[in-house]
Amino acid sequence: MLQIEKLNIFYGDAKAIKDLSITVKEGTLAALVGANGAGKTSTLLAVAGLIRPRSGKIAFKGQTINGLPPEEIVERGISLVPEGRWLFTKMTVAENLRMGGDASRARKDSVDSMEYVLQLFPALKSRYRMSAASLSGGEQQMLAIGRALMSKPHLLMLDEPSLGLAPLVVETVFEVIQRLHDEGVTILLVEQNVRESLQLAQKAFVIKTGTLTLSGTGADLLENPDVQKAFLGIGKDLS
Amino acid sequence: MTGAGVFFQLLINGILFGSMYGVAAIGLSLIFGSMEIIFIAQGSVMILAAYGTYFLFNMAQFDPFFSLILVLPGFMLLGFVLFMALFRRKDGLNKYSSLLVAFGLMILLENLMSVLWTPDTRAVITSYTGQALSFWGLDISITRLLVFGLSILATLAVSLWLRLTLMGNAVRAAIENPQAAALMGIKTPRVKAITFAIGIALAGLGGTATAASYSFDPTFGFLFSLKALIAVALGGIGSVTGALLGGIILGVLESAGAYLFTGVWAHAVSYIVFLLVLMVKPEGLFMKRTRSA
Repeated sequence: MLQIEKLNIFYGDAKAIKDLSITVKEGTLAALVGANGAGKTSTLLAVAGLIRPRSGKIAFKGQTINGLPPEEIVERGISLVPEGRWLFTKMTVAENLRMGGDASRARKDSVDSMEYVLQLFPALKSRYRMSAASLSGGEQQMLAIGRALMSKPHLLMLDEPSLGLAPLVVETVFEVIQRLHDEGVTILLVEQNVRESLQLAQKAFVIKTGTLTLSGTGADLLENPDVQKAFLGIGKDLS
Repeated sequence: MTGAGVFFQLLINGILFGSMYGVAAIGLSLIFGSMEIIFIAQGSVMILAAYGTYFLFNMAQFDPFFSLILVLPGFMLLGFVLFMALFRRKDGLNKYSSLLVAFGLMILLENLMSVLWTPDTRAVITSYTGQALSFWGLDISITRLLVFGLSILATLAVSLWLRLTLMGNAVRAAIENPQAAALMGIKTPRVKAITFAIGIALAGLGGTATAASYSFDPTFGFLFSLKALIAVALGGIGSVTGALLGGIILGVLESAGAYLFTGVWAHAVSYIVFLLVLMVKPEGLFMKRTRSA
């Protein structure tokens, strides 16, 4: 469904992504893991159209999408929940959700989508008319995910959805991701919570300084000694 | 006139006059919010509308307030055309070159109006111009009162549009976080075109209001832009009611300044207050301190 081929991204002269190629098949839950600064966020931003890769190809459902503006990419069925959420804090919960459904392809179903999101996140229902800024961290993350779902994406990309949340809320977020996946949404997840995301993921990619170093099923990578040493705190060498 | 009488008369004059600054300021604030440029030609566009109203009155006997039914849609269209011609670039025109374009447009309009229509001072004189309501020893000009009412209506209409319509919501979203708005599928170029058109339509309204209640000449534009800018700074960028209130406060300050001081010092009052606000509360008088979320 999503094909990234030989992607290269630069920030000025600094190379953030180097010849990265990954493929996410329709219906899978894929995870992108790696240390801070490895280039996970850059990859997602490039797919969403917010940064322009220097070279390489990004294709979605067989059509090249790199070079398209972000609002066009949403129309193709890709939605990103960015790191830090980017909520419209001067707007209400309802208005944020409505904005999420502004894409032409989602507009006619916006009433149904709203109902769907509110039953997925009942907490938002009671906050419906409140300012997004007044929500707790967990509620804000739910709003960010809900808002992304309003465009009825075929591919949902989540960037660090559990960052800074209380453990109980993290559980809820992962449950929701699992549920969305069960409902047929293809998911590309970037997480600092490596164990949890590998347990969830059918396919996982490890990137290091902008390059793909490992890929496999989530279960395989959980057993991989390099992964265990680097991300899971298992193994003798702690350096 | 008693002291209290003078005070209230100055207050009323200031409020009525300031509401015109307010209307120009709302347009400026919307355009600044969505395009991140100070549209310095706003005042000159206003004066262009003032000429429109003037000629409609003198040549076709249009009542100045009635001329709004042509001025408002006409200037909205003008705004749209200006945006398409000058500010719409696929590769994203740089902010600074946009500011220069706006500056150039101001100079062009100012000179064009002087050449075409002479730099003479103009005024629309209707049968009710100069009439005033008098009570409690105060005089309230009918035209200025009508202008004030129109300003309130315009502010209300823009606020409701921003709050209640999907398009208005999209404008607010794009003003707050353009990248997030793009991720939602909001077409930012369209949002910019629409806010610009509305901003220019508001300049049209301000221009008609100017023509209906005051005299004007082609060079008034820059001064209006400057005053609208101060009103925006007073009210806080991105707030529609703030911009109107900022304009009204400025109007009151000027009317007090003109009474208390003579000549150029009257103008200094508003600039001093402007500087003070920038130093003490740069986010605007009516804005809560923004926190990042």
